[in-house]
Amino acid sequence: MSATAATSAFCSHCLLPIRGRGHDRQVQGEEHRFCCYGCCLAFQVAHGEGEESEAAWLLIRLGVGAFLAMNIMLFSLLLYSGTFDQADAGVRQVVHLVLWVLATPALLILGWPLFEEAGRAAADRCLTAATLISLGAGTAYGYSALAVVTGGAEVYFDTATMLLLLFTLGRYLEASGRARAMRDLAPMLAAEKEGVTVVEGGAELRLLARDVTTGMLVLVRPGERIAVDGVVVDGSSHVDEAVITGESRPVAKTPGAAVLAGSINHEGALLIRSSGAGTATRWARIARSVRQALAQPSDAQRLADRIAGAFVPIVLLLAGLTALFWAQGGPFEAALLTGLAVLVVACPCGLGLAGALATSLGIGRLARRGCLVRGGRVLETLAGVRVIAFDKTGTLTSGTTHVTGIVTDGTPADEVLRVAAGLERSSEHPLGRAIVTAARERGLRPMLAREARAVPGRGILGDAEAEPVAVGSPAWLAELGWPVPVELAQRARDLEAAGSNLACVGWAGQVRGVLAFGEALLPESRATVQALRGLGLHTVLLTGDRAEAADRIAAEVGVDGCEPGLSPEGKRASLKRWRDRRGPVAMVGDGLNDGPVLAAADVGIAVGSATDLARETAAIVLPQGGLRLLPWAIGLSWAVRRTVLTNLLWAFGYNSIGLGLAVSGHLQPVLAAVLMAGSSLLVVLNSLRLERFEPSDDPKLADAPASERRALQQHARPQASAPRPAA
Amino acid sequence: MIEYPLIFLAGVAGSWHCVGMCGGFACALGSDPRGGTATLVRHLTYNLGRVTTYCFIGGLVGFLAAGLCASGADASPTSGAQRILAITSGLLMVFIGLQFLGWLRRFHGPPGLGFGGGFLAGALRDLLRAPGPAAPLAFGVFNGFLPCPLVYAFAAQAAGSGGALPGLLVMLAFGLGTFPAMLLMGGVGGWLRRAGRASGERAILNFRWRQRGVAFAGAFIVVLGLITFARGVLPMSGHLHVL
Repeated sequence: MSATAATSAFCSHCLLPIRGRGHDRQVQGEEHRFCCYGCCLAFQVAHGEGEESEAAWLLIRLGVGAFLAMNIMLFSLLLYSGTFDQADAGVRQVVHLVLWVLATPALLILGWPLFEEAGRAAADRCLTAATLISLGAGTAYGYSALAVVTGGAEVYFDTATMLLLLFTLGRYLEASGRARAMRDLAPMLAAEKEGVTVVEGGAELRLLARDVTTGMLVLVRPGERIAVDGVVVDGSSHVDEAVITGESRPVAKTPGAAVLAGSINHEGALLIRSSGAGTATRWARIARSVRQALAQPSDAQRLADRIAGAFVPIVLLLAGLTALFWAQGGPFEAALLTGLAVLVVACPCGLGLAGALATSLGIGRLARRGCLVRGGRVLETLAGVRVIAFDKTGTLTSGTTHVTGIVTDGTPADEVLRVAAGLERSSEHPLGRAIVTAARERGLRPMLAREARAVPGRGILGDAEAEPVAVGSPAWLAELGWPVPVELAQRARDLEAAGSNLACVGWAGQVRGVLAFGEALLPESRATVQALRGLGLHTVLLTGDRAEAADRIAAEVGVDGCEPGLSPEGKRASLKRWRDRRGPVAMVGDGLNDGPVLAAADVGIAVGSATDLARETAAIVLPQGGLRLLPWAIGLSWAVRRTVLTNLLWAFGYNSIGLGLAVSGHLQPVLAAVLMAGSSLLVVLNSLRLERFEPSDDPKLADAPASERRALQQHARPQASAPRPAA
Repeated sequence: MIEYPLIFLAGVAGSWHCVGMCGGFACALGSDPRGGTATLVRHLTYNLGRVTTYCFIGGLVGFLAAGLCASGADASPTSGAQRILAITSGLLMVFIGLQFLGWLRRFHGPPGLGFGGGFLAGALRDLLRAPGPAAPLAFGVFNGFLPCPLVYAFAAQAAGSGGALPGLLVMLAFGLGTFPAMLLMGGVGGWLRRAGRASGERAILNFRWRQRGVAFAGAFIVVLGLITFARGVLPMSGHLHVL
């Protein structure tokens, strides 16, 4: 999507996608498009600068309109409360005339934009809320003017002007609230248009992020957002990379450190050498994904829009019928007022907002933590998911081999590891590297070994402190004729049965210890799975790995079920089975090897690969190491669903009750206008509550109960949990 | 009838509070380049907008409160509902008045106010820079809606006054009371600016006697609150409510 298309598809003020015909308007020499008059007004108030600003002009309009409307209201209140009852009819006539004189400019000042909007809609053969209000105000005004001329008893200029004033005010407040709600999204939607300070030959010049190319020097001041990927050349600071990594703790950056576009620079100025084009950053891709996601309405939203569209003609008809009904055997004024009240109270303003705002807020909240969602509908599906299936390698485990246990014949485990590490020091074998890493992590210095000789597929033989030493497969050490103590052999068999690969370590012609290898869990896996189970979701592990290894991982993370030995087709079949048994299934994978499987789930969730969402089969992409955000994301999808539901319930319920009151003649039109403005505002405020939905910053520890927390801390260092030899 | 002059005086005294808050606006509104008369018109329109808002608030709450009471059977000033209303308004005024006197901790409005307040502040900022004769009027209208304990106090009295007209008159008396000081501020502000003494402007706003004026206003509000309260408590004091 090009940047220009984006400006026309989204309201410049509230950033919600514009459906139907928008308002085009020039503000400060730039073309803008707005979804409604309220946004147009609020945008100009917020962005207008300088004495000639149109914002000020609009506010003057609102202020003068309010001045006239308040005067009209005051006179009318006095009329209603019978202040002029004792005065003769002539005085009343004069008061009516004064009201007319006040109401005419008020109608033009406040009503003109609405009349225009209604006219434009009529040209498109559609009816909008503005149509209803224009019609209501126009009728009240026209009837009252006629009453003044013919010397009628009652005038309703107050109704006409207050209707317009409240409607305008309500829209303005609503637009302000929406813009506040969309604050999160504003930087993303404008990512490529963000201003960048480029230093060239000692001079600073401002460019747009999309015009930055590789090798340019970019100056980022404190508090600014870093707009390009690059390396720090000068300066030091802390940056917040939440939008890329999901981690909101500041990260220190000094010269030589890589920085990511989208991070926010905290306290110090940084000079950065750009390492790629401004449009090629992950930040720019996130921004594009979010734009596309916002443009895809959820099902609830689509439904609400359709209903709102059908609502207006029905309301018009109903208002007409109501007026007709009350006109029979009743005063015409009362019938007119009742019809007006119906027209105003049934105005479906909140309805169009109910789904759109909450869904967009949800997408924005997620994007702030680097979690990308393909659209509103995905968020809806996610909220309905009952089963979470996990891929193993790269999702729950790190994908690399680690030493997971050491058993010995009584020799200290560290000694065994020291000897083994000495032999494997320069080994390229995965098991060898795992041994060296384990030794380093325990702070051991590898024993110096000479004449290390590698036997492919078997192990390594060498000399240390004048003794032959060997590390290799149990079979090879048996071939060498090195015996394994009986007790050690038994414990080794137990480890093998638990799904581990083994290596024996021996010296002086005897096996002294056995090392167990396995995939290490990611530190957040267990807490994430437990948190998901805490949400009442069924968790399963689907893997192509052999049963023993899969069972070990399944037991360690605590998933409800484990299905090993599955081919990709097998995984898809399994997803279908789970869907039939329990309901919608989400599949979590790394997004690299399991694309087709992710696509087969109701919601495919890719962790960490996080490249271009448009090319992903996953509907949701979590950032690198972002598995821990999954429970929060699901909770958020629930909150969004709840908000949309309460919004719709409120909008419908309110409209129905208000309509009932209005049709039965129990609602004043002015009161109806107050309620209508309040209804929209309530929808906005209800949706704004989603702003408070934040993940705890270290859920892998914070969300887990204390006992689990200890286990987690051990899992974070897998070697530490290795069984110690009985000393 | 004695209430209206009292309210007017309370407005005059209370305008020392206004000088601190809205006086800044009046100063900022400044003078018209076309001369003294134009400047006066500018400030009169501003204050007209402000007082209109006050009157609207007063008339509306008076009407609504009276309507609320009239939904009961008896709408006379001595009816139960009227008395409860008078007692509530009176207590509210005493409460606000004591805050002005510094005897009660300042109460900050409900949290929802922040949103509307932010809107108003933004609107006022824009209008201040706008040219034309209508801008001061609009500025005054919005200014009138700014959260202000003085306005709350008299709105409470307007609610207890028993009708749209008395409610309107309460706020009108109060608004007119604040007129002289606010007009003066406009003039003083312009004069100080011409003299290039911005520090003098600040000195006036910070003067110690401003605090005494505010305390004075608090005392007026407490007295008026007690009168309103008494009207509800003492059945025979109906005559205090003359209009």
